[in-house]
Amino acid sequence: MKKKTRRINGMWSVIMLIVSVLYMYPIFMVLMNSLKIESAISTSTAFELPTAETFAGLANYENAINAQGFLSSFFYTAFITITSVLAILFFCSMFAWYITRVETKVTKALYLLCAFSMVVPFQMVMFTLSSMADTLNLNTPWVLWVIYLGFGAGLAVFMFCGFMRSVPIDIEEASMIDGSSPLQTYFHIVVPLLRPTMVSVAILEAMWIWNDYLLPTLILDINKYRTISMLIQFFRGSYGRVEMGPMMACIMLAILPIIIIYLVGQKHIIKGVVAGAVKG
Amino acid sequence: MAEVSLRHIEKVYPNTEKKKKGSKSNLKVTEEGVLAVQDFNLDIKDREFVVLVGPSGCGKSTTLRMVAGLEEITRGELYIDGVLVNDAAPKDRDIAMVFQSYALYPHMTVRGNMEYPLKLKKMDKEEINRRVEQAAEILGITEYLDRKPKALSGGQRQRVAIGRAIVREPKVLLMDEPLSNLDAKLRNQMRAEIIKLRQRIDTTFIYVTHDQTEAMTLGDRIVIMKDGVIQQVGTPQEVFDHPANLFVAGFIGVPQMNFYDAELVRDNAGDYAVKIENVYIRPSDEKQENLRRNKVEPQSITLGVRPEHIVLADEGENVLHGTVEVMEMMGSAVHLHVNFSGRDNIIIAQTMSLGGKNPSHFGAGSTLTFSFSGDVIHMFGKKDGKNLEA
Repeated sequence: MKKKTRRINGMWSVIMLIVSVLYMYPIFMVLMNSLKIESAISTSTAFELPTAETFAGLANYENAINAQGFLSSFFYTAFITITSVLAILFFCSMFAWYITRVETKVTKALYLLCAFSMVVPFQMVMFTLSSMADTLNLNTPWVLWVIYLGFGAGLAVFMFCGFMRSVPIDIEEASMIDGSSPLQTYFHIVVPLLRPTMVSVAILEAMWIWNDYLLPTLILDINKYRTISMLIQFFRGSYGRVEMGPMMACIMLAILPIIIIYLVGQKHIIKGVVAGAVKG
Repeated sequence: MAEVSLRHIEKVYPNTEKKKKGSKSNLKVTEEGVLAVQDFNLDIKDREFVVLVGPSGCGKSTTLRMVAGLEEITRGELYIDGVLVNDAAPKDRDIAMVFQSYALYPHMTVRGNMEYPLKLKKMDKEEINRRVEQAAEILGITEYLDRKPKALSGGQRQRVAIGRAIVREPKVLLMDEPLSNLDAKLRNQMRAEIIKLRQRIDTTFIYVTHDQTEAMTLGDRIVIMKDGVIQQVGTPQEVFDHPANLFVAGFIGVPQMNFYDAELVRDNAGDYAVKIENVYIRPSDEKQENLRRNKVEPQSITLGVRPEHIVLADEGENVLHGTVEVMEMMGSAVHLHVNFSGRDNIIIAQTMSLGGKNPSHFGAGSTLTFSFSGDVIHMFGKKDGKNLEA
């Protein structure tokens, strides 16, 4: 019996290893090609490791940073990501707290609405959204967080509600008796309790917003504001010519911060996602 | 320190979920909803320790939560120190509450938990420190002040919860089943701590429990509730000696009172007697007087006798016969579960008073004879279960 279990476990390990390699390989390819000279990145040579002749060092990275305004794109992306994540954390946690604690037909409907928003594909609403964003002057990086708040609310509210349900209401009632106003209870008691879920929501939302291409492309004025995802396509020149080396370097630079954030906070993602699933 | 007055307090839960729950616990259901608390009237004196006791779903916690301001009062008036507080927020009532689940703030240290209500009052830092240290000393938690709640045992957490409540020096201290989460040994220990605490702090206590032992040992007065209605209010001795009805008689006292079907009869001289099986028991003079005063007619009654008031007797007149089903050796006493007239009765026999008989003498299936005197019996009406003497 034990032998059989060990064999099954071994098989699963091999399968998961293959899946991991499949997931990691594109990133490895981008990294590999970002270190090669332009002429060594073609359809036939893209899969080859850099050699002494084809190794370009960090030249592609320098090129990516200096050309096309990488730093301003980085700033816009960071600004949009940080403001959106902060807005999602603040508004959604407060909203989730309210709809969890005040159970009425309206709050139940609001919860279902939030959950429903997760299953509506962005492509279904993108054109009307784009036109609405123009009308409401939401087409600059400074207020793009309003739109991201709408799209991020579904997952965030879902996760916050899951956690809030596992928190005994006695703690908040004790705080109210101790003299807190509802806002003081939220900031002094609820927010610290929600911290693990907040970290996981922040990481998940940050990964999505940082990497998002379609929404900023549709909403922002492409000549004025470019996020990193938008910038990458500008490495394609005229007549179909593509600056593959700097583009690969740019992709690497774009995904690096998010990989770091993910690695730092991955344990919180697991903790946050399962929070409230079982009685603690 | 404060007087608390509850006048005709009622709580109605209009929503359907509570209705379902209500139907299980026999709560009165009206068009308006489920009546969780009905016409609750009580005047609590300054520094009094009042215990609300009753089975689950009797409305005791709901009443406490209404006093705390955590539950809206549907009807009636609640006064704290003569001020109507029906619509006052919990923080404006100058009360503190200890929860069953401790409800400590997990992200704060013990000191942080105890300081929190004082910080909200914007109290002077030195005064905060003085009060926290003093409360910690009273409760013996000084060494844990810098620990987080998760690093404490259940008993220590409950002390912190009490500490957080007493640092505020509230007018009224509310306790909602504070010992229910503790094991039996710790519960006894904490019960003694609460008695000591009560002597050290000048405040009015309202304590909720389902444990009648806690109620009897802690309360100056006990309020016994069932299905949202007060059954009896009195000192522990009063409710033990003179239960108002069958419910109180069965609820107060461990093991619970034995009940028998009996007949209340009256002779030509006007004296009452209780006929059980073929045995006549004459109630004491005091009971005779009470029955006469209440003009009680001869009728079928439920007779109640506490297990400790039944004595094992030798064969003879006026003794009852039963069959032992289970014998529980408790050390100083033997609890005998005796089948008598088709019901399970408990008789407590002190081992010292067995007259040299070995307790094993009362094995399952053995018959025994017992009796009780007329001054320890309780007589309840068959129809309404009310004490005929009351």
